[in-house]
Amino acid sequence: MVGAAEEARLRRLESQVENGGGGAWEYLCLVRKLKLRRSDQVLRHGLALLNDPRARSKLGGEEWTLYEQVAIAAMDCQKLDVAKDCIATLSKQFPSSGRVGRLEAMMHEARGAWAEAERAYALLLENNPFDQITQKRRVAMAKAQGNISAAVDYLNKYLEIFMADHDAWRELAEIYVSLQMYKQAAFCYEELILAQPTVPLYHLAYAEVLYTMGGLENLQTAKKYYALTIELTGGKNTRALYGVCLCSAAISQLTKGRNKEEKEGSELQSLAVEALTKDYKKRAPAKVPLLTNMLRNMKLTS
Amino acid sequence: MGFGFALGVFGGLILAHAAYATIQYRGMLKIVEEEFSGPPMNVVVELLLGLALCMWAGLAAPTKFLSILPDSDENRIVSLPTNLDFMIFNHRGRVFPSSDAELKLKSKS
Repeated sequence: MVGAAEEARLRRLESQVENGGGGAWEYLCLVRKLKLRRSDQVLRHGLALLNDPRARSKLGGEEWTLYEQVAIAAMDCQKLDVAKDCIATLSKQFPSSGRVGRLEAMMHEARGAWAEAERAYALLLENNPFDQITQKRRVAMAKAQGNISAAVDYLNKYLEIFMADHDAWRELAEIYVSLQMYKQAAFCYEELILAQPTVPLYHLAYAEVLYTMGGLENLQTAKKYYALTIELTGGKNTRALYGVCLCSAAISQLTKGRNKEEKEGSELQSLAVEALTKDYKKRAPAKVPLLTNMLRNMKLTS
Repeated sequence: MGFGFALGVFGGLILAHAAYATIQYRGMLKIVEEEFSGPPMNVVVELLLGLALCMWAGLAAPTKFLSILPDSDENRIVSLPTNLDFMIFNHRGRVFPSSDAELKLKSKS
């Protein structure tokens, strides 16, 4: 999870490294720790570190981790010869290692040689049938080939064995959303919320799926989850504030004739409107008229 | 930090002095051949004072307290990590290769 403080630190380090201020290793460590996809920067700065014998020897054993990181980044940037060199160095250091074998298979993937990659992964799985990362790579490969239904099948089979893997649940939820299978996506997000109840972004995503499904009951639940997101983020999540407004508007439209629950809903919504306006006034004063216009159209403010 | 640390050192010295005073008191008791009924008043006061000072230093000296609230500015989660296990390589990067073409891993010599 990327916290606000860590994000600020990453931004600072990134601009420092980009302007040649040093701290490249620290930056690469942070990128690895936060699991971010900054392939271009990782490739340039990591390669600079690896090409400098003094800097490399200072890393000690961490050197090999850096080789792996740079290899993956190079594949992501389609610099296949760099990736190949890195993998060759690694396989010289660690012959017959599963981790290096996986990198080689990923190399096939990056070249688009699906059959070879499939064979390599099958071989790896034969040696170690419960290798989670390799199994996930097969899912990713099915996705890369555009075979989404196979990816869903693989993921479902994978999740039957490794139910606690929330990254896989998240991937499955995202695939379902992209296929517009909202009911299934909602189930995945429920699992995620159960596994990590303090992550506001799962609550937010669940609320969004519910809102997209529509219907009075779903909208009311979505509003509750939006409200929970606001609570967990201390009101700093603009998306959740908008969500509360949209849900209130949709609910009031659905229950136009009967206004039983008008009272309790209207307070939350007016508070959200207030928070949104305050936030816009502080951070983007030029866009306040747009916001008030939109809110007036939704009949949330008079 | 400096002030808290100094207080801690002072507290430690007071505790050490209390220990020294107790040993002396026991020695004196042996000389006058009385039973040991309890520590003298000045040792008790020193112990309490040392405890308070060391506690103060322990709270003040190390670093600032970190927030444990999930919605505080330090802990607030702003984004999820990219799902790197499911990373795929056939994206726009293939068509738009990154600009500098001279990237090359020098072989280890």
